Amino acid sequence: MSITRMFRDWDKYRKASPSGDLEKDHPDYKWAMAIDLDICTGCNACVVACYAENNVPTVGKDRFEHGQTMHWLRIERYWNEADAETPHRGAQFMPMMCQQCAAAPCETVCPVGATNQTPDGLNSQVYNRCIGSRYCSANCPYKVRYFNWYDYPEQEVAWPEPLPMQLNPDLTVRSKGIMEKCTFCIQRLRAAQSTARTEGRLVRDGEVLPACAQSCPSGAIVFGNLADPYSQVAKLWRQQQVELHKDKQDKDKTGDNGGVRGYRILEELRAYPSVLYLERVRDTKA
Amino acid sequence: MNDIDRRKLLKLLGWSSASLAVAGCGNPPESGTGTAEAYSEPGDFNVPGVGVYYASTCTLCEAGCGIKGRVREGRILKLEGSPECAISKGRLCGLGQASVQHHYNPDRLKEPLLRVNGNLQPVTWDKALSLIAEKTKDAGDKFAFLTGPLSGHLKVLVQNYVEVLGSKNHFVYDLLANKANQLAAEKVYGISNPQVQIAKAKLILSFGADFLNCWESPVHFSAEYAQFRKANEGKARGVLIQAEPKMTLTGANADRWIAIKAGSEGVFALGLVNALLEDAHHAKNVPASVAEAVRKYDKARVDRETGVSEEVFGRVLAQLRERSPSLVLSGPSAEGHIHGAQNAAAIMLLNVVLGNVGKTITAPAKIPFPQMAPAAGDTSALIAFNQALSQGRLQTVFFHGANPVFTAPGFMKVRENLKKAAFKVAFAHYRDETAEEADLVLPLDSALEDWGTHVAAYQPDGVQIHMQQPLMERLYPQGTRSLGDVLLTLLKQRRPDEYNPFPDYYAYLKSAAIKNKAAFKDAAADDEEFWYQTLSHGVLNVAKPEPQRIALNPGALDLDLPKPAEEDLHYPLRLVPSVRANFRDGRHANLPWLQETPDPLTTIVWGSWLEIHPKTAGRWGIAEGDIVEVISKSGTIKAQAYLFPGLEPNTVAIPIGNGHEAMGRYAKDVGVNPLKILDPVFEKSTGELALHATRVKLRRTEDNRTVVKDEGWRPGVVNTQMNRKIVATLAADKIKLFPEE
Repeated sequence: MSITRMFRDWDKYRKASPSGDLEKDHPDYKWAMAIDLDICTGCNACVVACYAENNVPTVGKDRFEHGQTMHWLRIERYWNEADAETPHRGAQFMPMMCQQCAAAPCETVCPVGATNQTPDGLNSQVYNRCIGSRYCSANCPYKVRYFNWYDYPEQEVAWPEPLPMQLNPDLTVRSKGIMEKCTFCIQRLRAAQSTARTEGRLVRDGEVLPACAQSCPSGAIVFGNLADPYSQVAKLWRQQQVELHKDKQDKDKTGDNGGVRGYRILEELRAYPSVLYLERVRDTKA
Repeated sequence: MNDIDRRKLLKLLGWSSASLAVAGCGNPPESGTGTAEAYSEPGDFNVPGVGVYYASTCTLCEAGCGIKGRVREGRILKLEGSPECAISKGRLCGLGQASVQHHYNPDRLKEPLLRVNGNLQPVTWDKALSLIAEKTKDAGDKFAFLTGPLSGHLKVLVQNYVEVLGSKNHFVYDLLANKANQLAAEKVYGISNPQVQIAKAKLILSFGADFLNCWESPVHFSAEYAQFRKANEGKARGVLIQAEPKMTLTGANADRWIAIKAGSEGVFALGLVNALLEDAHHAKNVPASVAEAVRKYDKARVDRETGVSEEVFGRVLAQLRERSPSLVLSGPSAEGHIHGAQNAAAIMLLNVVLGNVGKTITAPAKIPFPQMAPAAGDTSALIAFNQALSQGRLQTVFFHGANPVFTAPGFMKVRENLKKAAFKVAFAHYRDETAEEADLVLPLDSALEDWGTHVAAYQPDGVQIHMQQPLMERLYPQGTRSLGDVLLTLLKQRRPDEYNPFPDYYAYLKSAAIKNKAAFKDAAADDEEFWYQTLSHGVLNVAKPEPQRIALNPGALDLDLPKPAEEDLHYPLRLVPSVRANFRDGRHANLPWLQETPDPLTTIVWGSWLEIHPKTAGRWGIAEGDIVEVISKSGTIKAQAYLFPGLEPNTVAIPIGNGHEAMGRYAKDVGVNPLKILDPVFEKSTGELALHATRVKLRRTEDNRTVVKDEGWRPGVVNTQMNRKIVATLAADKIKLFPEE
């Protein structure tokens, strides 16, 4: 799609909110996730898997100190502030990556349309359109966009020979001045979609997983096609009574949601994220 | 072939005393899965743009997960867990993922090095091997081979080689071994390596066993843990209670985390035993003598010695009474003391009292080939090796898979003692600290270039033998070699008749597998087909694994735990050298992905730190980022302070793994090594190093630097959610249960 046409038909691609009719918005695919925080152990296997799959550079200690980290996926760790002296209930972990918002705040501020919605419900990042304004990063409520302050392929810390031999040829290595972020491993999705199309079918549930979900030792990350009502991820969204197009779920309106654990982070900002989290659980009798 | 020759051959091939070896033919082969193909089909290497998956085995820790490597245009790109492996079941941890960075590491050794006039200089393999032949000629007991944990055919070859040289000195050293645990299990259950059925337990009480991160088989346990936690209308959610002086990742996931005083775990356990024996259904599980012996562990003593409040003790007790079967685990923080094995036995006794044995504590199958069975290693091996060195009893020493110059405590003076051995050979991937002391450094193939067989110590289901095969051609074909090949070459020099039939390690492994294929499930009748299937699947399932038997004898346990050690006013704090799953004993510190992946609990990257409780820090006047001298009786190191609430206040912790003086650009001069200041304290019944028994004091320096970490930047401010719903928590009795799927 040319950029001229994209800006001309902007309304077609960029909605203030999803319509609520998933079939209309995404007739074939709407990629989504569900992460059970009671099963996530915070082990960081997903983080390393993401480095391995997506050609994410290591930046070294100095740049990390300056906040120039590149990890597309991070595990946030919080403590219960009431138990600050002794954390009797352990720590709180949460994998945080691009939430692939259906009405992403990053999209509206990009002056060149480098980030926009794909028909299968991803928040894309077109590297060779990006001019590095960094408005998207400033506007992202989840802080999951990472900017290449350096030309990492040329930096000794990232890929000295022969480490470049490990780089995944299915996606680029980004250069200086480019914004990047989690893509739900779009290279894997496109390969699976292409195979399915050749075979005249849709991608089957479980046929393709992003690297994080594939490696997760406890299986806390569930990934799939929300447009397929029989997919595991669609079942979980339904079971947890979270609907993509709502900024406040019906179950949360009364104050008592009956112990259904599903929620989306900062839902009230009306970004309509595609990642569902399931609340961490603690047995207070113990 | 006559019978005697056959027996000898089986010994060469590692199958000796295998009763299964003479069984009949196997069943037809099972059909392969779509993606798995044997490496020996070279055509697959050159399908442009298409990644092909080959099976192999992860070698980064002893769990031995089956992996599948994605190969494209002849390059290995990424590793995944193998769904056919009973251990990994298609999953892989971060450490395993990073294996490709060992393979492509820019600091890998590319050619043999010989020390000439004090400097390591390039030398040819031919020269190196003839030098070894010369130096080992009449070695006998003056020769020693120090290795890390080994299993499979590499272990067979190492042991055969040591034996051929007329030596008995094969030392298997593992800093992180759990010898005290094994000894206690032997005493309590009659077997040293029981299976722990995490998924079947309704309650887990763990004393420092970090099973989600670095204890025995973390990938397998993580999958089990998910089952343990999942609740539905038919199954309650499992409860995890963790008691330890320094919070581990498993502790961070606990429903109740208990900051117990270091070394008092046994007292807490026996206090629970004492209370539980008031119940008739628990009392019948042990002889009356046990009840008598534990009577002195009353609530007052538990309260006094463990630092755990009566209220928390009561909660744990109530949970143990309510939830059955439960599972009680003993881990390194309970075992790293003088009375470590006794602590572990006291903890395991809880499983007997609670009737968990047979339910959540089960017996694994016997590994049918003793020669190939894993040699787990321990620290007493290092102590014995070091003693032999210091007494000048060793002339020629080989190293593989162990870096004692880095991992040995400072008081052992390993570097100095090594000077007494005239000829030291390091089989290595990097110029690590031990290689820097060696006279000859021989570069090995990476794990992704090499062949091998592995037998995991923790077998969750039957017995699987894992195949390791190259996932790509050698990066340095002229420089690196397989240790298996080198050992065969050396063995051929000594025993040509026996070893000449095997042109190389590959041929050796292949003939070994084929020779014994009847022992395996679904082995194809045709040898080539069997070998092809073996490599495709990456695992061999032993056809009829023989069960081991649990034999309880709780009456024979020594339940008289020592009084807590006197407080040392000069060294008032306990030091925990904590284990990071990503670095283990420090051998993976040169992988940039792992350096840059934050430590899960502190979120710190690229370095070392001193974890100190905020209360203790206040008392010592220490703030986050302060450079602090950590002083033990055995040495001093400087580390950067990080205020961490997950500590018993009299405990400080420094992670193991960093502080390398060599080993390449990513490891050298990053962080500090807490092992250097350990006190000479030993576990009394195993002779193991007591890793958790060092006492330290602190001295603040004037230096303060920013702690480089992923969490919030302001020092001293708890990373806060600002009252937004970021990580939400729900009480277990509030969760809505759905029907079982």
